[in-house]
Amino acid sequence: MNILDVQNLKTHFFTEAGVVKALEDISFTVEKGCTVGLVGESGSGKSVTAQSVLRIVPKPGKIIGGKILFDGEDLLAKKEDDMRKFRGKKISLIFQDPTSSLNPLFAIGDQLADIVIQHDRVKKDQALEQVIKTLKVARLPDPEQSLGQYPHQFSGGMKQRICIARALLLNPQLLFADEPTTNLDVTIQAQIITLLKDLQRDLGMTLVMITHDMGIVAEMCKCVVVLYAGHVMESGDIETIFEKPHPYTEALLKAVPRLDQTRKLTSIPGNIPNLIDPPSGCVFHPRCQYAINICMEKVPPLEDVGGSHFITCHRWRELQGGR
Amino acid sequence: MGLGKYIARRAIYMVPLIIGISIVAFLVMYAAGDPIQLATAGNPSITEAQRNALREYYGLNDPIPMQYVRWLDHFVHADFGKSLYGGRPVNEIISTLFWETIKLQLVSILLAFLISLPAGIYSALKQRSATDYTISSIAIFGISVPVFWLGIVLILVFSFQLGWLPSAGAHGAPYLWPVFGIRNETLDELVHLVLPATVLTLAGLAYNVRLLRAGMLDVLRQDYIMAARASGISERKILYKYALKNAITPLITLLGISIGYMIAGAPITETVFSWPGLGRAYVAATLRLDFPLIMGITMIITIMILVANLITDMAYAWIDPRISIE
Ligand SMILES: Nc1ncnc2c1ncn2[C@@H]1O[C@H](COP(=O)(O)OP(=O)(O)OP(=O)(O)O)[C@@H](O)[C@H]1O
Ligand code: SF4
Ligand SMILES: [Mg+2]
Repeated sequence: MNILDVQNLKTHFFTEAGVVKALEDISFTVEKGCTVGLVGESGSGKSVTAQSVLRIVPKPGKIIGGKILFDGEDLLAKKEDDMRKFRGKKISLIFQDPTSSLNPLFAIGDQLADIVIQHDRVKKDQALEQVIKTLKVARLPDPEQSLGQYPHQFSGGMKQRICIARALLLNPQLLFADEPTTNLDVTIQAQIITLLKDLQRDLGMTLVMITHDMGIVAEMCKCVVVLYAGHVMESGDIETIFEKPHPYTEALLKAVPRLDQTRKLTSIPGNIPNLIDPPSGCVFHPRCQYAINICMEKVPPLEDVGGSHFITCHRWRELQGGR
Repeated sequence: MGLGKYIARRAIYMVPLIIGISIVAFLVMYAAGDPIQLATAGNPSITEAQRNALREYYGLNDPIPMQYVRWLDHFVHADFGKSLYGGRPVNEIISTLFWETIKLQLVSILLAFLISLPAGIYSALKQRSATDYTISSIAIFGISVPVFWLGIVLILVFSFQLGWLPSAGAHGAPYLWPVFGIRNETLDELVHLVLPATVLTLAGLAYNVRLLRAGMLDVLRQDYIMAARASGISERKILYKYALKNAITPLITLLGISIGYMIAGAPITETVFSWPGLGRAYVAATLRLDFPLIMGITMIITIMILVANLITDMAYAWIDPRISIE
């Protein structure tokens, strides 16, 4: 069963320089209890996708089309106040940078307890008990002592555990983790990945793992959704995709890991397009080694190629057959 | 570190500063001219011998270092000496004028701060709306219009044309009493405050609003605000609890500076409105080279700025856990 079904989601940013078409046509599903990878280069729209599902896209961004079905309910049809009750309670988000996503002027206990109080209307000490319990789940040492401490008193890894606890406070059904290890030391990265894997398994949560790192995808995810310039290039389970990838995924997989770039492990020749004035036809055509004339003229549709494998490519038949 | 110890240490650091500033002020003052010559310039019958007798009387013939040490000795005993004009003790002059200045300034600073809260928050939230533009225009007007010009315009309109408000002084506008039907001291003081406080509030308001608006816009873009939103915290709580505390810290500095410079910043307004305060007295004392009074007010200004700095630092440490008073 699908807990999340995103259909033709379109989110644009109306900036002074022009309309940034961050998400142009995003469709994918997430099966309940699964870990799904959301991958793509920087600027492909991964974070905006998560923000759109929670309906917290910052100004001047706006969701201008599509449907987001969560457990069968259309989130985009909800009143803002009803939507607010979903955030943190049914759907949570872990941010890329634990340091900037914790408010520097408030004690940890205060920040986290507010969330419990907001949703469950309990007394502060009851909320704090829930906070301690969840901090333990996130394996933060000395949860009781941490309550009165401020974010700057913790290391990066500890802060990320606090952020994970914040997302888990109310046992959400769906958790987005937006590159939760990008800003951490390599040794800490492995610990956080293990923690998320264990939590997903133990709590039976659905996890959408946003990442640049194909290694993390291979290690954690059952399915993967590949984004490029606001479009879904393909989606499906990882065996199928690693075996018969879309031209963009193929490039992602082939791209050499670069030692001089710790943030972006992969790099594909060429640049991600300008989203104010994106390429005609298939958005990937300027960088695609298989591009032919039709790729420049016609936008390829997202097609079901069988076996829950979806591909956006004019040439999928020949390419899939011929390799 | 304990708070008491911290304050004590900061106070000790202030001593050399205060002495240094007093020496500089003393030297500059003596370089400016001879007060006796200035005071007696309009008197054609005075002889040089009589002038010298006056200098002798006020100790102005002694070497400057000796005069300074004598001044310092009085200063540490909390005595600023006597005015060269009329011989009134400087302590007495300052204490009567001090509260008039503080009253006007504190009212204006607090009004500017309080009005800027809703104005700054609102214009940040409704960025680029008509209200935002209106608030910004008033702010720019307040920053760019000189205090004396606005003061004079207000006096012309509300005092001379309409006759509603007094144009000068801080007390006693008998012609207004029949308007209220009573003679009420507080009401009388308030009526006198209206025009000068309006001018000063408008000037201060501008900086406050712009600072808060910019701070708010910056804070609302931060990840921790989006994270609070992603956790389902209500917009009201995000705004008034999580965003405001972050956005208001620059205003605390401005508040501290304004309070520290209360007296130093007062002369123009006090002169325009003939306000019986320290600022106007400072200008008058300087023009007359009334050395003891100049030194007295200079020292009061210096001490107020230093103390306001200390209080600002303490307020910062109290608001922001990342800053400790070390
Ligand atoms: N607040 C904003 N204002 C204007 N444009 C925005 C804003 N946020 C995102 N965008 C644009 O939307 C596009 C997608 O951004 P998004 O943050 O989703 O990328 P991403 O895939 O998460 O990249 P990264 O891996 O660097 O985090 C980018 O082109 C970005 O410039
Ligand atoms: S549609 Fe054309 S350009 Fe786009 S991925 Fe397929 S082959 Fe490449
Ligand atoms: Mg991102």
